[in-house]
Amino acid sequence: MTTLLVAKQYIKSFISKYEVYLKPLMKLILALAALMMINGKIGYMQRIDSISIVLIVALMCSFMPANFIIFVAAAFTILHLYALSLECAAVTLVLFVVMFLLYFRFSPKDTLVVLLTPMCFILKIPYVMPLAMGLLGTPTSAVSVGCGVVVSYTIGYVADNATALSAMDAEDIATKFRFIIDGLIDNKQMVLTIAAFAVTIIIVYVVRRMAIDHAWTIAIIAGALADVMILLVGELMFDTNVSIAGIIIGTAFSVLIAKAVEFFAFYVDYSRTEKVQFEDDEYYYYVKAVPKITVAAPSKTVKRINSSKKKYSGGQSKK
Amino acid sequence: MHAMTAGRYKVMINEEKVILMTKLASYESNEGKKNIQIVNYFRGDYIGFQVLKSVIAATVSFFVLFAVYAFYNFEQLMQDIYKMDLLEYGKSIVILYLCTVGGYGVISYILCNIKYSKAKSSLKHYYNNLKKLSSMYDK
Repeated sequence: MTTLLVAKQYIKSFISKYEVYLKPLMKLILALAALMMINGKIGYMQRIDSISIVLIVALMCSFMPANFIIFVAAAFTILHLYALSLECAAVTLVLFVVMFLLYFRFSPKDTLVVLLTPMCFILKIPYVMPLAMGLLGTPTSAVSVGCGVVVSYTIGYVADNATALSAMDAEDIATKFRFIIDGLIDNKQMVLTIAAFAVTIIIVYVVRRMAIDHAWTIAIIAGALADVMILLVGELMFDTNVSIAGIIIGTAFSVLIAKAVEFFAFYVDYSRTEKVQFEDDEYYYYVKAVPKITVAAPSKTVKRINSSKKKYSGGQSKK
Repeated sequence: MHAMTAGRYKVMINEEKVILMTKLASYESNEGKKNIQIVNYFRGDYIGFQVLKSVIAATVSFFVLFAVYAFYNFEQLMQDIYKMDLLEYGKSIVILYLCTVGGYGVISYILCNIKYSKAKSSLKHYYNNLKKLSSMYDK
């Protein structure tokens, strides 16, 4: 346990020291992984299915805000689908537009979920998303993860039926269109997954906030069990053809990743080196504020910040 | 304590003031950025503007989805277009549109209200520090 705490401390100081370089690096890796997965899964447009273009775009993403990656990934997806068939691109575009106009306007923090969920689906560990979002987010994250599930099933459906779609007569737009929409609406597995993930998120969120020892660990395990149960019962009821072994092994892996998320989650709010500039009547100030590294447990650090705030406001009221 | 050392050595720069200003500047450039933007509006103006944006977003989404629906049922619609009561059909679409936009507008009204209150309460500490800073100048 001590070594773990030391490791935590080390990671914390490492992140706060090199944050300036780590942030763009993480964005670069994320963008690179996302674009390569998209190219691997639905690389129908030859022109953008090359590593040099992916590298250039990913480098661009590393300097832009995190949500820019989503737009790039969405653009890549639509371009690839456009190369396959216009109808696919149209349906996906409508899906994206409605999602961003109606939902992500209100929860811009969750937008990355739409990208991460399909990526986890490709890595065969989608079950990590509801666990992680239950730990880090709020119950409304269920909608975000639901959107991510819809996107991944849409892409998966198109990829699975690519040959059928390209074999169809190019003239018969309406038939193609109906084929795609029918495939999406009648997808029981998708509905089941959305329901299972939503329930998991709510369970994880509720248990994590309980005032009990090891609430986070219990939340992860309870959520994982609920997820597996719902998926298996759904499989029996609707005969959705999912592999039971896949669910169980994927969930086991996801639990491990969720534990890692828990490990890092306490340090999301780490204090970092700040560089600020301001001026008053006499001076220009270029201040670099470096946080003091304390070895205290994270909960204690939080308390200390609060008490100092109270002191401030108390001093203020006296004046 | 910092202020004391500053006083003892007669440093021209007031350390306490610098610390306070650093805190304010770091809040302004990080988590406070959005909140300050929101509170720059009056409550009514902010909510009105956001609801207007929501109505536009809902309108666009409705028409896009309706276009998909119409295209999906294109043949059926073409067959029935002479048989059905177009006025009645149009009326039902308008009602559906109003319900969608109205519902979404109400939801966004509630959400924006919550957002504005949250922004305001999180800025309380910031305003306190600002007052403190201005009182330092008055001395």
